[in-house]
Amino acid sequence: MNHIDVLSVIVPVADRHDDLVDLYRDYLRHLQGHAATLEFIFVIDGNFPQAAQSLHRLAQHESSVHVIELPRQFGESTALTVGFEHSTGKVVMTLPAYRQVESAFLGGLLDTLGTADMVVARRFPRVDSKLQRARGAAFNGLLHWVTGSAVHDIGCNVRAIRRHVLNEIRLYGDLYMFLPLLAHREGFRVVELNLPQSRNSAPTFYKPGVYVRRLLDILTIFFLLKFTKKPLRFFGLVGAGFLGLGALALSLIVVQRLVFQVPLADRPALLLSTLLVVLGVQMVALGLVGELIIFTHAGDLKEYKIERILAGGPDTVATKDSDRPPIAKPAVLLRKG
Amino acid sequence: MQLSIVVPLYNEEQSVLPMYETIVRAVDPLTISYEIIFIDDGSRDETFARAAVLAEKDRRLRVIKFRRNCGQTPAMAAGIDHACGEIIVTLDGDLQNDPNDIGSFLVEIARGYDIVVGWRVDRQDRLLTRKIPSRIANWLIGRVTGVPISDNGCSLKAYRAAVIKRVPLYSEMHRFIPAMASITGARIKEIAVRHHARRFGTSKYGLSRIWRVLLDLLTIKTLVSFASRPMRCFTLIGIPLLLGGAVWMALAAHHALSGVSRPVVIESAIGLISLAGGAFLVSLGVLAEMVNWASDADVAKRPLEAMLRVEHGGPASHAPDDGTLHKGGGFEPY
Repeated sequence: MNHIDVLSVIVPVADRHDDLVDLYRDYLRHLQGHAATLEFIFVIDGNFPQAAQSLHRLAQHESSVHVIELPRQFGESTALTVGFEHSTGKVVMTLPAYRQVESAFLGGLLDTLGTADMVVARRFPRVDSKLQRARGAAFNGLLHWVTGSAVHDIGCNVRAIRRHVLNEIRLYGDLYMFLPLLAHREGFRVVELNLPQSRNSAPTFYKPGVYVRRLLDILTIFFLLKFTKKPLRFFGLVGAGFLGLGALALSLIVVQRLVFQVPLADRPALLLSTLLVVLGVQMVALGLVGELIIFTHAGDLKEYKIERILAGGPDTVATKDSDRPPIAKPAVLLRKG
Repeated sequence: MQLSIVVPLYNEEQSVLPMYETIVRAVDPLTISYEIIFIDDGSRDETFARAAVLAEKDRRLRVIKFRRNCGQTPAMAAGIDHACGEIIVTLDGDLQNDPNDIGSFLVEIARGYDIVVGWRVDRQDRLLTRKIPSRIANWLIGRVTGVPISDNGCSLKAYRAAVIKRVPLYSEMHRFIPAMASITGARIKEIAVRHHARRFGTSKYGLSRIWRVLLDLLTIKTLVSFASRPMRCFTLIGIPLLLGGAVWMALAAHHALSGVSRPVVIESAIGLISLAGGAFLVSLGVLAEMVNWASDADVAKRPLEAMLRVEHGGPASHAPDDGTLHKGGGFEPY
């Protein structure tokens, strides 16, 4: 049937949460058959006394429930990391503290895991209003356009992940959301699976600030995915553009002044071109400082992602990821479930 | 272990077996202990499976499989990191390099060179898209970095392991290994090698990398010249900008006070911009110096232990004078 010994379910609890005891029972009922042992780790991210109280009461009866309280709100990335560090399962499932998908279908996520390293859920079909669907589509479309991501629903936090994936990815800030993209970049097989959205999911309304933050997040992930190892590739490109433009304009003005006797007086173009030149030099210089940082840390930043090492000779096959079935198939990148 | 042979492979299923056979045939007569490391750089064909079959029979062969295609430099870096030999030889997995040249590389290493670079004198590639761009690139790299190598693109190279393991290898830096290694003070030698036309597969290079090579070159130039004193790099441009801006400002002030009818606003603005730019660059230099100071990477700060020719005096010790290096055991030069 399946070969998961211990399944760790991590539920970060923050502002938005449903009745957690209800939710736990619901999750438990539908996941029970899929692993020999289940452990639930609730990470309370901030000061939520009511939720904490009900969870503590739950933990007294259920030995599989663990509750971790963070001293203040650290954000979901930290909550997930802490939860992961306290988990023991070879497979980790992250679930939201509110109803996002129909929990009856959660097992499908584990069945799909098979040879993949990570399965992410896509809420489909959705019950949200048209407006909310459009909002999600716009965000994911923008993400696809900027980073080439093939994930359709990055906002869905229902994910099943093999332990070795999380061992290699450091989450901070708002990066938890982009975990599938980071895992994909590290060379892991990420698969998307359609799960029907929960009928009970409450509509969410975001403040304008949230939209701005999401856009900045996309910018961050763009830089992280494309230019972390080669800062000058980015800064150099932009800087050289400014520098070239400024130098061109400047030489044009100088020629006009010296050859055609056009007076320099009161020409803002001179100011603009000087500004462009200086800006360009600064951009390039910033890129070089970035390169210097990479150079001095190159020893720690291993760029290669080893899947396994075959030592020569008979019967000495050593695999690095011992929990993975030894299949040497070409990597499936991102495919729809 | 005396020798490690590192071969990055990317979609080279047809080359795996001939590659292995020619290496074994070439190195076995040298009667040294050696290992072969194949790095499968996320191939989508049978490369790994075929290499794995070979590894089952040969204890000297190790195969490292990447989860995804990481590029040639990371592949070489992985091989070098996992190599156990005192000397490391890298070569391309496309059979264009000839393993029979390995012997002459070892001779040069024994003579005391830290890095021996192959030079494909009679290169078997397309003239217009491969040879001419490469000529220009090599000339440029030599001019800019001050390490004149005729053929930076040749993968057939030999290194003293202690030296190359400390040279940072990332991104597409394999083209600049001699220049990077020169930061550490490595002694570099170039020798002619044979080159064969490609038998299987297709070339994984194109012309589109010119822009990237140019930017990399700027990086290398900065690193080679300034890695141990980054502040100088920035103050070199920053201070003239700062001074020029100040002079221009003073002139503008003079004009304004003496009532000459000149566009004082524009003059002072330009002065201000250069002043600000200069100040920015100088502070960037300070920042770069701090980065350098705070890091524990000593690549640029001191030569490697393995490169020092150390002689201990006294009647009891004897320094070998056969041209090989005498590694000073436990001797701290600084």
